[in-house]
Amino acid sequence: MTLNTEFMLETFFIALKGIPVTLSLAAISLLLASPAAFFMAIARINRIKGLQKAVTVYVSFVRGTPMILQILVIYSLLPSLLNQLFMNLNLKINVFDVNPILYAYIVFTLNTAAALSEVFRSALQTVSIGQLEAAQSIGLSTYKAYTRIVIPQALVVALPNLGNVTVNLIKGTSLAFMMTVKDITALAKIEASYGYNYIEAYIVIFFIYIILCSGVQLAFRLLEKYLGGYRKPAAG
Amino acid sequence: MLELKNVHKSFGRNEVLKGVDISVEKGDVVVILGPSGSGKTTLLRSINFLEKADKGTIVFGDIEAKLENASKHDIRAIRKKSAFVFQNYNLFHNRTALQNVTEGLIVARKVPKAEAVEKARKALDKVGLSDRYDYYPSQLSGGQQQRVGIARAIAVNPDVILFDEPTSALDPELIGEVLNVMKELAKEGTTMIVVTHEMTFAQEVANKVIFMDGGVVVEEGPPGEIFTRPKEERTKQFLRRIINDFDYVI
Repeated sequence: MTLNTEFMLETFFIALKGIPVTLSLAAISLLLASPAAFFMAIARINRIKGLQKAVTVYVSFVRGTPMILQILVIYSLLPSLLNQLFMNLNLKINVFDVNPILYAYIVFTLNTAAALSEVFRSALQTVSIGQLEAAQSIGLSTYKAYTRIVIPQALVVALPNLGNVTVNLIKGTSLAFMMTVKDITALAKIEASYGYNYIEAYIVIFFIYIILCSGVQLAFRLLEKYLGGYRKPAAG
Repeated sequence: MLELKNVHKSFGRNEVLKGVDISVEKGDVVVILGPSGSGKTTLLRSINFLEKADKGTIVFGDIEAKLENASKHDIRAIRKKSAFVFQNYNLFHNRTALQNVTEGLIVARKVPKAEAVEKARKALDKVGLSDRYDYYPSQLSGGQQQRVGIARAIAVNPDVILFDEPTSALDPELIGEVLNVMKELAKEGTTMIVVTHEMTFAQEVANKVIFMDGGVVVEEGPPGEIFTRPKEERTKQFLRRIINDFDYVI
């Protein structure tokens, strides 16, 4: 078996065009999921009645089902149900006209929020309650105590796990092709399908993902080093 | 100046405070003694609402409030008139020594930054840390951290400083440096309420000693009285256990 290197080079540049889609899928899902995850973490830490239970159920539901199933449900079942509903209500909205990337945002946001809520919860709990009390005792409001003292420290603790979630998310967006979103994987598969060069196409995007994910991991490591400088004891 | 009346507090079924009254005058150094679990720390924490008492009244200067349902406004006002020094220092780990002190000044009291830094430097100089302004807590010893904690408290110029076992978490050889700072403050007339097990400090520095046990004040008076002529049997027992060579006059 020989690999079609000419095809691989061509596909490499075509697949690169999917990077903005892949990264924006990841970035927007992260941005949407973060605040939601933060409030879920707060709800669980402060044992807010009702909310705490709901969050627990949500997290275990999302994390306990394969993402591919969630995609099938949200991308296939949801539009059909909505369409039925709109038809019954005599609304002239065509749900099938909706840009499929919206469904991708929904799936990845739901998933990321669940994972992040656990990351935030454990990170917030590493900052001693004593620091919160100390901040309150010198007159800071709870909000200021969180934004100035607790959250900056929790963020540094959360960074390694946040990096993991981000990398998992980037890899996870490769399932977006199922929703006809043209990300890195989708573009490569389309190229491959013309001449049945799937192996070559997969090897190419294999490397694109490695480079992308390594870059993200490196960025998180540097960020942690930069933000966590206060944790290092002085030499001597 | 500061008065607490009939303070009650339970944790679940455990009644920690069973109607405690204390009063503190300006310039007082009050030491609260008692076996662990006697409610000393809970009492101290309920003064600035780190603990919410179930019942009781606080009169602090011109503020009078019910401990169980004080308004947010009253809580903020009382916290601004008092400062707290914690057993575990509780410094802000993401702030330098100087920033730990300026935080409350700039954020809570809206002091202009330059003035806050000036005040913070003075406070740190006072506790002997003029060479540690830019050190993070992780770079300081326990004794130094606690002195930053004290500087953080004195910088806001409170009417009273509450000390919750300030030396209990320290290595023995570091206790002295913290107690010396506290003695210095007492000499300058700072009003202090101190929960501690340091008997020498109580004897030398306090002008009033309160002995608590089982959630009530058993006995209170000047240290001369409490340490040499305790009236209550429980006080005698406690002092005998704490001070091995303790010998009181009957």
